[in-house]
Amino acid sequence: MAATTVPDKTTRRHAGRGTAGPKAAGGRGGLSRKLTHNLQAYGFLIGAIICFGLFSWYPMVREFIMSFQQTKRGVTSWVGFHNIKTVYHDPYFWTAWKNTGLFTLYALVIGFAVPFLVAILLNELRHARAYLRVLVYLPVMLPPVAGALLFKYFYNPEYGLFNRILKFFHLPTSQWLDSSHTALISVVIAATWMSMGSATLIYLAALQNIPGELYEAADLDGAGLWSKIWHVTIPQTRLVLSLMLLLQIVATMQEFTNVFLMAGGNGPENSTMTVVYMVYQYGYRYNNFGGAAALGLFLLLVLVGFSGLYARLNRNSD
Amino acid sequence: MSRIRYRRLVAFALVAGIGLTSAACSDSNDKKDDGGSKTSSNASAGTPLDPNTKVTISVDCMPPTTKKPERKQWLDDIAEFHKTYPNVTINSKDAFPCEETDKFTAQLQGGSETDAFYSYVTDLQQVLDAGQAADITDYVNDKTVPNLKDIDPGVLDILKDNGRLYGLPTTNYSMGLIYNRKIFQEAGLDPNKPPTTWDEIRADAKTIQDKLGSKGIHGFFEYGAGNQGGWHLTSALYGAGNTVVSDDGSKATFNGPEAKSILQTIHDMRWVDNSMPQSAGKEWGESQKAMGAGQIGMYLAAPDDIQLMVQQYGANFDDLGMAPIPGGKTSLMGGNDYFFKKSDTPDQIKAGIAWINFKFLTLKKGQFNYARNKADGIPVGLPQPFFFTGQSKATDTADKTQYATVPVENYKSYVDAQVPVKGEPPNAQKLYTVLDTVMSGVLSNKSANVDKLLSDAETQANQLLAASQ
Amino acid sequence: MAEFTPQNRTLISSAALARPRGKRIYWTVLTVVIVVFTLVFVGPLYWMITSGFKSVHEVVQNPPTLFPHDPQPSNYHTAWTQLKLAKLLWNTFYYAFGALAFQLVFDVTAAYALSKLRPVLGNVVLGAMLATLMIPSAVLIIPQYMTVLDLPLLHVNLINHPWAIWLPTVANGFNIFLLKRFFDSIPNDLMAAAAIDGAGPTRTLLSIVLPMSRPILGVVSIFAVVNVWKDFLWPMLVEPDPTKQPINIGINSLSQGVPENVLIAALAISALPTLLIFLLFQRNIMSGLTAGSLKG
Repeated sequence: MAATTVPDKTTRRHAGRGTAGPKAAGGRGGLSRKLTHNLQAYGFLIGAIICFGLFSWYPMVREFIMSFQQTKRGVTSWVGFHNIKTVYHDPYFWTAWKNTGLFTLYALVIGFAVPFLVAILLNELRHARAYLRVLVYLPVMLPPVAGALLFKYFYNPEYGLFNRILKFFHLPTSQWLDSSHTALISVVIAATWMSMGSATLIYLAALQNIPGELYEAADLDGAGLWSKIWHVTIPQTRLVLSLMLLLQIVATMQEFTNVFLMAGGNGPENSTMTVVYMVYQYGYRYNNFGGAAALGLFLLLVLVGFSGLYARLNRNSD
Repeated sequence: MSRIRYRRLVAFALVAGIGLTSAACSDSNDKKDDGGSKTSSNASAGTPLDPNTKVTISVDCMPPTTKKPERKQWLDDIAEFHKTYPNVTINSKDAFPCEETDKFTAQLQGGSETDAFYSYVTDLQQVLDAGQAADITDYVNDKTVPNLKDIDPGVLDILKDNGRLYGLPTTNYSMGLIYNRKIFQEAGLDPNKPPTTWDEIRADAKTIQDKLGSKGIHGFFEYGAGNQGGWHLTSALYGAGNTVVSDDGSKATFNGPEAKSILQTIHDMRWVDNSMPQSAGKEWGESQKAMGAGQIGMYLAAPDDIQLMVQQYGANFDDLGMAPIPGGKTSLMGGNDYFFKKSDTPDQIKAGIAWINFKFLTLKKGQFNYARNKADGIPVGLPQPFFFTGQSKATDTADKTQYATVPVENYKSYVDAQVPVKGEPPNAQKLYTVLDTVMSGVLSNKSANVDKLLSDAETQANQLLAASQ
Repeated sequence: MAEFTPQNRTLISSAALARPRGKRIYWTVLTVVIVVFTLVFVGPLYWMITSGFKSVHEVVQNPPTLFPHDPQPSNYHTAWTQLKLAKLLWNTFYYAFGALAFQLVFDVTAAYALSKLRPVLGNVVLGAMLATLMIPSAVLIIPQYMTVLDLPLLHVNLINHPWAIWLPTVANGFNIFLLKRFFDSIPNDLMAAAAIDGAGPTRTLLSIVLPMSRPILGVVSIFAVVNVWKDFLWPMLVEPDPTKQPINIGINSLSQGVPENVLIAALAISALPTLLIFLLFQRNIMSGLTAGSLKG
């Protein structure tokens, strides 16, 4: 019977039979019992299977099919590689990829490093820990629209809070969201503020699990602060760090909400147009769903690469 | 219809691998024709709705709660409409703004629009592409829409495809320049002599900036996103006598010396004179908010903005003036209309037409009830809509003059200029998205390369046009 | 777990901090951290709440005011009534907890069946479900949207219906993964004992598995609610009717029609419910989240 499909642990196999055992032990009636058992099991599965089927498996197939189709005046026809060529030759195709890449890079430099450093800092403090943890997590609780529109006000070059503060200290001001040079990084800073709480908490928990003896041993070797971070902290949290890194890459490559809310989507000179925003633009601005699907295929290929890496690391961590 | 075909194709592809069936194509074509002939073969289509008919229709674009008088009038009008048609139930849905391009597309794809649905007049092709518009040619005549003969044929033509009519106009506008007379005065400019060319706009904007910049007032405002930038650039090009696409709609024509000079002027206003805000507009409504709060001197606009700014954003009628579009060669004419959902029953279409006729196309009723508008504090005397001709136009003008609440002389130069109007380009909203990038380029980048921006936009526009052929 | 145990040895030893120089540095750093963190994380919220009380003019005034000169509580009232925030908030909760209910029922039963009942081809199903983890949701936005417009076989249009938000959340490979792993760790002897007592799979699930699974159910629940609460693009596409939108979409689409100060007041109101819930239950929420994410 199929209860034995997991190859690894004999104990599990044995126990698995144990569940079905008392029923299956009936000899001649075994077949119908097995049938009942399977029917029952699929009864438990059916809700999830339907939902996965409708909203994951079928759309995947459809994504491929749509990439090769066009609909005009309610008539759909096969167009071969036309959609793929169209989006590939879009003058902003590479811009969108460049932006997505830059966005991911900034998100790594800022969105990945900042929470880790904050976690290390908080872990060293002996006071006000609960207060500080709550503070860092507070923005995570804001609805995205509140966080994004709030930063839109702060970033306004003329009356926004940031430039006023910079002016007060006689520092150079910035165009923030209104310049193609700074728009993307402005979005990343805001996004980091909004979401760094979760990552910080995860790092904090990981730091807590580092055995204290390792630091003591490092002390005995006369290691400095940086050396301890480099030789103890980072290696000891490597697994969590690498998982978070990949999660962050996959998440930022799908960025939509913040660029949509803060930079009007494509931003100055298309400088915040991510690939996902371009998918959206093809679908809902250009009314070209075939093109949107074709662009989605490109994104799929790239992201599956990253997710594959993620899955592998995940398996290793098991 | 597309959905049925999708299903077939998907099923087919799943079973037999990816293959192509011409049968499926012709099949759905037949279906479409069937649908068409069903409506046109309806012998009674041309008669007005029988008041005894029991029918329910949903209609969108009811004024939202933020627009109190308009909302009250809408509800009052439904009540009055009910007296004539006691069995017609109108389910209104509110929204503000009534149409956003992205949501409108999503709505058409989903077939989730109301039975009679609001749109920009530029949307006909998209609505037809989505297979969502009912052909109302046989329903519209001088019995169902008594003022039909006086509606400007140019306006109705925009709502026609292959000679068939799909929508009824509710308003139309022609673009011009809205300016703040008070700011002009304070800056030492003559409020009765608004600028008429881009050079004059630049000079006046600079004067305003130099005199009033310290108070946070800017000379000019422009958009770089939300299709607003593209819409304004198109208006500016029309003003210069240019087009943005060729007559057959196959090629982009906006890349030329006029576009370069206009964009260069805007760039210089932003970066050389600093007479524009440092933040380019991103969403519809920002220029209106800024003008309403007295923070900007001028921007390109349609006349109905004046009403909005006074009612929503605290402006005074006396402060607002309207001038013709700079250049003055042609003026972009746009407007709004209602389409009818393809799946409507004939009675629903008739009821919808009866309601729209009552609310938007009957003199002294609905939107043309100037006496009521005056009492409710809704401005009377704005040069919009202007789709009536002949006797209706004469009556309308007389009524407007009688109840005028706005300083009509403030719009004199706009009205007197009589700039010939020109409809929006085909695939307008797509082109506006493309042109947004050009605008945002000159507004956000001091060293913007206008030539490159225009040629990139041209490439992209040509692709979009080719895809829509 | 994840609670701080003060005696834990960290990067810097307590002995080093006890020295006079270490003490001085420590207290300086601590003060700076508390001040900076308060400014960075509470400052924006303070600005939001106070600006909601300011006049349109004062909001953009230069230099900004620390307190509203002439507080206008009416902004909050206007925001509440004109943007129909009560309705938007209600919609959000409705979608979030509906999604939670569907995920708890369908994903828990599915993971239970895959972990303990192990039907024929169960592993194929599991593999197909986990494979969806490789496909990022944004890629499928367009075909998913087309599917919701017209469900295959059933031919129902889910637009403007809560199902359009609830059902797709069930197709969450991560939930299945978390739950199945947890169920795998429940000793099968327990199940066998229940079976000998004559308990069917349903009773075993309800009386043995679920009571033992509280921690993982807590994690899945928090993720379920937070995901719906944070989602933007999908609800924007499938709930176009203004009366059915969740708060994120509703406020954004109405933002153009109201003055700045009213909009800021609306943002403050929209943030309030979750901030309050968080402050009340912060201990449980934070420890639950860290535990869950580490497991994942």
